[in-house]
Amino acid sequence: MLSVILSGIALGAIYSSVALVYNLTYATSRVLSITAGFTFMIGGVLGAYFIDIAGLPPILGFLATLAAGAVLGLAIEFIAVRRVLGRSDQHLWLLSTLAFSTIIQQIVALTWGTEPRRFPRLFKQDFGGLLDQKYWLPIGAVLLVAAMLELFLRRTIIGKLFVAVSDDTQAAIARGIPVNAVRAASYALAGMVGSLTGFAAGQLTFAYFALGFMLTLNGFIALAIGGLGSTAGALTGGMLLGLLTAFATHFFGGAFQNSISTGLLIILLLARPQGLFGVRGARMV
Amino acid sequence: MKDIDRKGLTITRRAVTAAALAMPFVPGKGRAASAEPVKIGWLPSLTGPLATAAIGFDHGVRFGVEETNKAGGIDGRPIELVSRDTGSDPTNAVNLAQQLVFTGKVNFVAGPVNSGESLATVPIIARAGIPNLVTGAVEELINPVKYPLAFRVVNTTTQWISVANDYGIKQLGKKKIAIVGDTTGYGTSSAKLAVDMVKAMGADVVYMVLIDPNKTDLTDEISKARDSGAEALMVWTAASGLAARLLNTRGDLGWNVPIIGHPVLGAPSIQQLLNKPSYWDNTITIGYQSMSFGPDGKLPERTQKLIDAIRPQLGGGPIQFNFWWIALGYDIIQVINYAVRTAKSTDPAEIKKVLNRKKDFPGVFAQYTWTETNHNGVPDSSMAANLANSFKDGCYKLAPR
Repeated sequence: MLSVILSGIALGAIYSSVALVYNLTYATSRVLSITAGFTFMIGGVLGAYFIDIAGLPPILGFLATLAAGAVLGLAIEFIAVRRVLGRSDQHLWLLSTLAFSTIIQQIVALTWGTEPRRFPRLFKQDFGGLLDQKYWLPIGAVLLVAAMLELFLRRTIIGKLFVAVSDDTQAAIARGIPVNAVRAASYALAGMVGSLTGFAAGQLTFAYFALGFMLTLNGFIALAIGGLGSTAGALTGGMLLGLLTAFATHFFGGAFQNSISTGLLIILLLARPQGLFGVRGARMV
Repeated sequence: MKDIDRKGLTITRRAVTAAALAMPFVPGKGRAASAEPVKIGWLPSLTGPLATAAIGFDHGVRFGVEETNKAGGIDGRPIELVSRDTGSDPTNAVNLAQQLVFTGKVNFVAGPVNSGESLATVPIIARAGIPNLVTGAVEELINPVKYPLAFRVVNTTTQWISVANDYGIKQLGKKKIAIVGDTTGYGTSSAKLAVDMVKAMGADVVYMVLIDPNKTDLTDEISKARDSGAEALMVWTAASGLAARLLNTRGDLGWNVPIIGHPVLGAPSIQQLLNKPSYWDNTITIGYQSMSFGPDGKLPERTQKLIDAIRPQLGGGPIQFNFWWIALGYDIIQVINYAVRTAKSTDPAEIKKVLNRKKDFPGVFAQYTWTETNHNGVPDSSMAANLANSFKDGCYKLAPR
């Protein structure tokens, strides 16, 4: 049973990290970017590439992956979000970020291949057991990222700018805040968070091009459970979903895994639409 | 990958043009009055999650077309290959199959290369009255009454499972079996079929589980299989990630029971996903006699000949993926060549007559036989149990008997 719990928490950490990526992009643009799971996938693929193929030491491979994640985040903001937000109030970002995600997936499939590939072992340790790094790296990474994000948003000027833009974009513009630059920074940070946790979880997920959509969906479910905009909500939602998935598989088998997680989403949205940690917004009349 | 595909397309177009230009100079040999091409619609999934095998098939098909056209075509008629990438998506496959048979006016359709897409396209191609060479393994794809023009050129799922059961239960003497499938349509139906077939052989299915192919951790499932007292694991999934995780978990738990099952267990892509090379030991993958090294260390003559001929086009080094994919693709063109030459036309009714009575067609992948009541071309004698970790040049060593 311990292995089921640990496996569920590790899986939950992955979902939490994607929910955090959603939160970051939503904060400054009110966009739930479909690319969230793809930044994670890119972290695994590029990490494997930099270390296994380019031959970089793990620490340099990690830094290169982070840098690539930031560049990807900026590209998503500039190509798929900024222009769409500038030209329409409709939810066209859903289509533009979906299209961008498909392009990312196809590029990875064509250049990296469609079969899963290994992610290198980052620390010397024998395989197997409950202390295996493949479980603890993603769990540690997401906890660290969540703590740092909270500090960043609450204690730094740039973090406070994120919050200001999130709370009232028009007021932020009126106060001279460079909203476009703040939004670009939040997407770069989101790209780094996704690629960091993708790197940390690479031994569990393998470096695999097809992870993106699955993680985008499950990250969204985690976000809906925890509540949009809340770091604690993203963590709790992801962990709950991961544990529920693990227990559902343990007791009922893999055939019911997805039905149970999406069923949970429907029940929660009916009972508490704002999620566990979300705040019900007042409607202007 | 893209370069290879593009290159393949260019070669084929050049070959068709060259063959057409050369027609007036091809001596006699019963050339048809007009050099109207034999149009073959080809539906590989060159992109998407099922691309790896399809790219292998594609190499074989294109090589077969090139070779046939260089030799003057089929009775003077060049082959025109109309290839459409399904993207591993059954919906795309349906649209493309309709395009090929209704507007493309192809004479034959080959593929799609996997069962999921084939289940969607076989009825459409049958309704259009076009001969279809089927490369999917699930049983439902072939029915000489419903789909009289569909002829299978690959084994069936039942044949794969029979060989696995025969090896695990009869050869190794294992009587308590755990069966693992994935949650795809293929994995689910194969696992259920495997349960029935294992029981029919007098063994016990002590544990059966379906697993999401992307599930990241299998400790729970493999621990349950071990606790159930299983003496062997039979695995029915085409997902290399899942297969590798099964092998890794068995190894990490130090549970050394044999794993027997789907050919993906021996795929070279598995090797780099393993925690330790030794985790591939005691693993039996189901394969083919034609792709197995004999006791003398040699491959069957026809297989070796095709390997030698196609190797330069694959880069000249060792072949890095399952050679049976290439051999089967190559055989598709040879079967069409034979059928058109014998029927002296591409008329579907005549093609059906020819294939319905073809016995022991000497392909590279198998010796095919079709009859009016059985359109499954690959005989049981073509199947083999291989050592998964013996991959070399696209082929395997036979498992010890």
